Amino acid sequence: MSIRLDTTVGALKLANPVLAASGTFGYGLDLLEFCPPESLGAIVTKGLSPRPRRGNPTPRIVETAAGMINAIGLQNVGVEAFCREALPELRARGAVVVVNVFGERMEEYLEVIGRCEGEDGLAGYELNVSCPNVTAGGMEFGHDPAPLERLTAMCRAATRRPLWVKLSPNAPDLVATARAALAGGADALTLINTMRAMAIDADARRPVLANGCGGLSGPAIKPIALRMVWEVHKALPGVPIVGIGGIETGRDVVEFLLAGASAVQIGTAIFRDPVAPLRIVAELESFCEEHEVAHVAELTGGLQWR
Amino acid sequence: MTHNGGGMIARRDLTVRIAARTDLSPTCFRFILETAEEIAAVPGQFGMVTCGAGFDPLLRRALSIAGVARREGVTRVELMVKEVGRGTNLLRHATVGSTLRLLAPLGNGFTLAPVEGTCLGLVAGGIGLPPVLFAAERLAARNVAFDLYVGAASGGELLDVERCRAAAIAVGGDLVLTTDDGSAGEHGFVTAALQRRLDGGQRYGRLLACGPNPMLAALTRLARERALAAELSLEEPMACGVGVCLGCVVELEDGRYVASCKEGPVFSVDRLAARWWP
Repeated sequence: MSIRLDTTVGALKLANPVLAASGTFGYGLDLLEFCPPESLGAIVTKGLSPRPRRGNPTPRIVETAAGMINAIGLQNVGVEAFCREALPELRARGAVVVVNVFGERMEEYLEVIGRCEGEDGLAGYELNVSCPNVTAGGMEFGHDPAPLERLTAMCRAATRRPLWVKLSPNAPDLVATARAALAGGADALTLINTMRAMAIDADARRPVLANGCGGLSGPAIKPIALRMVWEVHKALPGVPIVGIGGIETGRDVVEFLLAGASAVQIGTAIFRDPVAPLRIVAELESFCEEHEVAHVAELTGGLQWR
Repeated sequence: MTHNGGGMIARRDLTVRIAARTDLSPTCFRFILETAEEIAAVPGQFGMVTCGAGFDPLLRRALSIAGVARREGVTRVELMVKEVGRGTNLLRHATVGSTLRLLAPLGNGFTLAPVEGTCLGLVAGGIGLPPVLFAAERLAARNVAFDLYVGAASGGELLDVERCRAAAIAVGGDLVLTTDDGSAGEHGFVTAALQRRLDGGQRYGRLLACGPNPMLAALTRLARERALAAELSLEEPMACGVGVCLGCVVELEDGRYVASCKEGPVFSVDRLAARWWP
């Protein structure tokens, strides 16, 4: 039986539902011999700001039980270097590229989108309004529905390309932020970003990370991510969701699709295994064969409640 | 922006068999990993090694390569590991004959070219020995002269002393051993032993070093005060080993943070930020 793996996120057609998550796949060209970007449904770039960002002091990462906490601080080369140095090759390879957009102020989000609008071969934007590791921007938009709606609407006015908003699991009211992003004109919601967390060195009596706190990722957060995808899907049926949080296997993907996601992103798993996204695509296909699922898109929202 | 795949030696992620494990000290052990595939590496490069199935520990461990050789269709990769936590404890108790994944070779290596008119100074502290011993054996094979300084907390933690001695003797160099507690070799830090010889008129065209950060900071100060060329192999907490997580960054003198898994782990001291010579 030949399985159809193609899916759509809003108007965006994807060859398969497995994407590389922002901040775990560089600018798409770092792991060519393990995972060519064109073999994935799409890749989401490292968060890009108008100008290069240095990022946070070290230590920036710490491993925890079934997870890790990071406080990278959005170190990136800036949108100009990305468009000049990486985008031409991504385009030549036929990769589907979603630009993750970050700014400290609303105008900076527009600067990044404005620069990208001049380039062919970009599939869409994902607004990063949920980074827990920077003092300005990021999470402050992601936690409060009113500014989030304003930011999304401004970005909506700046592009006709698909616009996704990556939501924070740290927001006091997840569904309210989801509604705000949609009211502002988002085409899809990505959830979830990392969960605010900390690790403490008992000997030194100090936080392990130089930043104090960071964002927890990996299998430890998968059950929370699944619950959040399901809650948003239930509250806002029909809204395209890109699920993310601790996905390690094809079966994990199926769980996210059943909860209501149309596609998923693989993040921390890439750190363990640079081939992970491709392995996960193969596992997803096997699952569909075994369970006689002809088209992977049939799984979306297919959770049987009781 | 980094494009990989065009590097001098191709990275590969291979299933390797644990062919042997030997205790080197109360805390350190040697792994010999075998595969039919070819792996090349230069001294200073490292690999990312899985430690057990399951999600805890979640990440691979970055381990410096102590040697690699290919004979009769089998590649043998040597690692030296210090048990410091759960991951390395699992590695220590992994069954000989079982397999693990090795992503290697990663990062850059030491400059091994001879320096006209002088010899090289190789300096290792504790579990910093593997890349330094790998360099010593490669240099000995090329007949490039060096002295080898090896320090440890105590005599029992000096690793593989006979191999160190054989490598140094092969090129007519000295092996200088030091221990923090004075239980073997010269009493005190390895950098102090190096400084005494420099004060006595010994000259080195280049220092190559790996060890704990305080030792490398002391060596950086020494090298900068005396305008000596020196390369350090640094260890930073690392998730991916392939340049995408940006966890393992090192701060350079120009203020930039660069991934030590790609631009390092070997850095020339004149590139490093001021925190290395406080």
